[in-house]
Amino acid sequence: MMFRRKLLAVFALTVFLSVAAVAWLVSEVTRRAFARSDDERTAALVTQFRHEFNRQGDEVQRRVEAIAGSEAVSRMTFALSRAPADSGPYFELAKSTAENSQLDFLEFVEGGGTIVSSAQWPAKFGYPEEAFGSFSTAIEQGPFLKQEPLQEGTVLGLFAVRATRVGERPVYVIGGRRLDKNFLSGLDLPAGMRALLYQNRGDHFSADLLIDPSTSSAEKMRSSEKLQPLIDAVRQYGQEMTAVVPWSGNQADDEVFHAIPLLGTDAGKDHPLLAILLIGNSRRTYVELKRHIRSAALLVGGGGIVLAILLSSWAAARVTRPVEQLAQAAQEVAAGNWNARVAVSGRDELAQLADSFNRMTAELLGQKERLVQAERVAAWRELARRLAHELKNPLFPLQLTVENLVRARQQNPEQFEEVFRESSRTLLAEISNLKGIIGRFSEFSKMPQPQLHPMQVNDVIRGVAQLFQAQLEAPGRAKISCELQLHPRLEPVAADAELLHRAITNLVLNAMDAMPQGGTLTLRTRGEDGKVLIEVADTGSGLTTEECERIFTPYYTSKQHGTGLGLAIVQSVVSDHGGRIRVESQPGRGTTFVIELPRG
Amino acid sequence: MKRFGWRRLVASSLLLMALLIKAGAAETRPQYGGTLRIAMREAPASLDPCDATQADSLARRNVLALIFETLVTLDDRGRLHPSLAVDWQFGPGNQRWQFRMRHGVRFHDGTALTAEIAASSLRTANPSWKVFAEGEAVVVELDHSDPDLPAELALTRNSIAKKNGGGKLSGTGPFHIEDWQAGKKLTLGAEENHWRGRAFVDAIEVEMGRNFHEQLNELELGRANLVEVAPQQGHRVAMEGGWVSSSQPMELVALAFSGDPKTANEKSLRSALALSVDRGSMKSVLLQGAGQPTASLLPNWMSGYGFTFSTDADLKRARHEREQVSTAPNWTVGYDANDSVARVLVERVALNAKDAGLVLQPTTAATADLRLVRIPLASADPWIALANLAETLGLAMPKPRGESGEDLYAAELALLAGQRIIPLFDLPEEYASCPVLNDWRPAADGSWRLDEVWMGKDRP
Repeated sequence: MMFRRKLLAVFALTVFLSVAAVAWLVSEVTRRAFARSDDERTAALVTQFRHEFNRQGDEVQRRVEAIAGSEAVSRMTFALSRAPADSGPYFELAKSTAENSQLDFLEFVEGGGTIVSSAQWPAKFGYPEEAFGSFSTAIEQGPFLKQEPLQEGTVLGLFAVRATRVGERPVYVIGGRRLDKNFLSGLDLPAGMRALLYQNRGDHFSADLLIDPSTSSAEKMRSSEKLQPLIDAVRQYGQEMTAVVPWSGNQADDEVFHAIPLLGTDAGKDHPLLAILLIGNSRRTYVELKRHIRSAALLVGGGGIVLAILLSSWAAARVTRPVEQLAQAAQEVAAGNWNARVAVSGRDELAQLADSFNRMTAELLGQKERLVQAERVAAWRELARRLAHELKNPLFPLQLTVENLVRARQQNPEQFEEVFRESSRTLLAEISNLKGIIGRFSEFSKMPQPQLHPMQVNDVIRGVAQLFQAQLEAPGRAKISCELQLHPRLEPVAADAELLHRAITNLVLNAMDAMPQGGTLTLRTRGEDGKVLIEVADTGSGLTTEECERIFTPYYTSKQHGTGLGLAIVQSVVSDHGGRIRVESQPGRGTTFVIELPRG
Repeated sequence: MKRFGWRRLVASSLLLMALLIKAGAAETRPQYGGTLRIAMREAPASLDPCDATQADSLARRNVLALIFETLVTLDDRGRLHPSLAVDWQFGPGNQRWQFRMRHGVRFHDGTALTAEIAASSLRTANPSWKVFAEGEAVVVELDHSDPDLPAELALTRNSIAKKNGGGKLSGTGPFHIEDWQAGKKLTLGAEENHWRGRAFVDAIEVEMGRNFHEQLNELELGRANLVEVAPQQGHRVAMEGGWVSSSQPMELVALAFSGDPKTANEKSLRSALALSVDRGSMKSVLLQGAGQPTASLLPNWMSGYGFTFSTDADLKRARHEREQVSTAPNWTVGYDANDSVARVLVERVALNAKDAGLVLQPTTAATADLRLVRIPLASADPWIALANLAETLGLAMPKPRGESGEDLYAAELALLAGQRIIPLFDLPEEYASCPVLNDWRPAADGSWRLDEVWMGKDRP
């Protein structure tokens, strides 16, 4: 991955993690704040319910006291205190009094516990009041919860009891208000909150016992199913409990329900669980705010990432541009452009690095030039040495022949003719030798420019192998076997077939010279990294390291009769094709020449 | 003061007293004129006497009796009296009856009453009868013996009515129809030339469909002169100074099962229910002392043997009967939602039944296992009343019909033995009237007899 991309990724990741961390932090703080708010609101509602409960209880008690002190009740008490007591005329008194006093329940109970008149169940006159045993306690304690049996079933009510008496026989007035939808609707609930009441009757949960002022019957059935586990738990343990009730797949519809057991004061029982108050608190606001935070976080995060990409692109570009220039310059130097330079701006570390790079390349270039000059001098020296050596050999016979002629003229004029003829032949022969030497040098200096055409290297290799086939198998010569390992799908190269043929021929001749005892000549072609490779390998004695370093130097030869120009010509041809040649060899294990040519 | 003198003062006082006494004496003499305003609960949609779709009630009978007349009438002791028929004869076997029509009777539209018109009216009311005119008489021929035919002819549905071309009804009663708003208001005018003489009041206005509470309000506000009073309110109204009068018990309140008991268990359960009902407390409290607890179909004043049926609750026996059955069904008990007394009665019955181990669920639905019914007795004649009760309840009247009280007793026992009905109370008709309504008193059978009442002057 590019340094700039890495830098970019680091920047983006940093921004993303920062935004995510902030979003999580805000969400967590919000959740805790809402949880605290929920608790506070629930506690406030519970307090309000208790306050409303007490207020309603006080109101019921006040009305019951007013009824107990009314003239009608006093008359009834007086009439019932006389014998025989006739309660018939007061049969409807409870009903009319309850209507006037706006009470849902009202009963007059004579001192023996028998109902004289009942507003909620008029037909119940003459029957014993079930709660009569707890009247004395209820009078002392004030308003209390009680389940009131009615014709259509038992309902929950908030009651108060007062006694009025004439003489010894009291008449009890027990009145109350029904804890129903109206009661719950009367609670001043904050938005998003609601109150439900479950009347705890029977052994099992029943949807009919759930009072929910905000829903229809069908909805109530659904509500009850969801609330049943919470209600059952409170019924079982008799403690306040809280649960989240999911109404749908949408979390915004969830509600947190706080269940509060409401206990009664029935005599003979240990505060029976009469009802369960369910306070529902919608999580919609919280969930929607959480979603907003998440959306905002995503928006900010996305925007931040984009901004980070832009800024980091700018910053990375600013930071990496000198580095990239350095890398580019280094690549150019590696490609042979020793003149590559990096612009130096500023005085920071990167500027210092660029300056150092420039100085380094300048130094390298100087060293290279010096090396080239040295090599050139060395080459010239070698050329001069070789030339002197080449010329010295024919010149010495020429000198001796001319001296013989002079000596023969002076000392044996009679033999001069004969000496002259022989000397002339010798001179001509040596002069011809000199001309040959000069001709080869001339030929090397006149290497033609290659005419590049698309061609298959394998064809050239096969042609060379075929050319040397007979020579390799010639009798009286140690056998050299030739192996062709040609890549079948080699791409064509732009080359001069004749020059390439000549170069490979030179390599094959060298290989044959390196295997006087016979061996194996391998001609191999293959493709690699956009190049076509030609390998000419022998199994001869191999070359030393020094020989490998100098083997392409013109006029350098390890053979007794070589001119040292063969491999120089090969290198010249390969170089003219835009390729390169290298030698791989180890003493005793043969030598391999590798030609690399660019494709097409 | 001295000049005025004691003598002059005493003379003036005597003169004033004489004037007051004279005025008082004048009030005791019937006076013609005035409009009698009546309020009633019933709201009949039709005034046609033979319209069987209209619910039978004493109030409807009394209203129709003002407009229409029958051939014969029954007094409150069940005795027959001539009305549009002056006399009657019967043939052998009581299968052929001949009623001789009264002369000089005219319908309100001026048409003279003839035997043909009377026969036509009776045929309309009794399609199964063979009725025809024979001279000045109406002849009824039956395919069976019916000694009570004259009493049956005294029923309201057998009133003689005539429809003119426009379908307008006309009768021969003491009042003619002046305005009729079906189910709301009926205005009647006194018939000047009625064969029994003109009624004292000029007109009668009947407001219909008013509940007891509204009727009492209208009476107190002076907008009504005669209103109905719920039996349980009669005592209170009288205690508060109201003028309350009542008939003999003419309405049976009972629990009626929808069908006959199919098994012995069901019979036991019905016995348990009948034994569990505490009629005494219901009478003293729910009915405020009005009515008579009863276990018979006919009131004692009519049959003379009603007291022989025990009305006391026997919870011990009721539980014993209940325990004969392992599992008892929950019965629904229907009642009229507009009848507040019925509701409390049913709830009380359910409470009593609960004590016996039965479960009764009160309901206002039309269908129920048993219903609280209020059946007005059709006639002061016990046989007619019993037959009508049996017909109303869908019970088969035992045959043959007898003449004696023992026969009646046996017939009633047979009807009760089917356990289709549990009698609870016989209720009277109670009325409250204003002081200016004179000579008003309902007959024992609840008849109004308004042609005899007259309106006095308002008192301050």
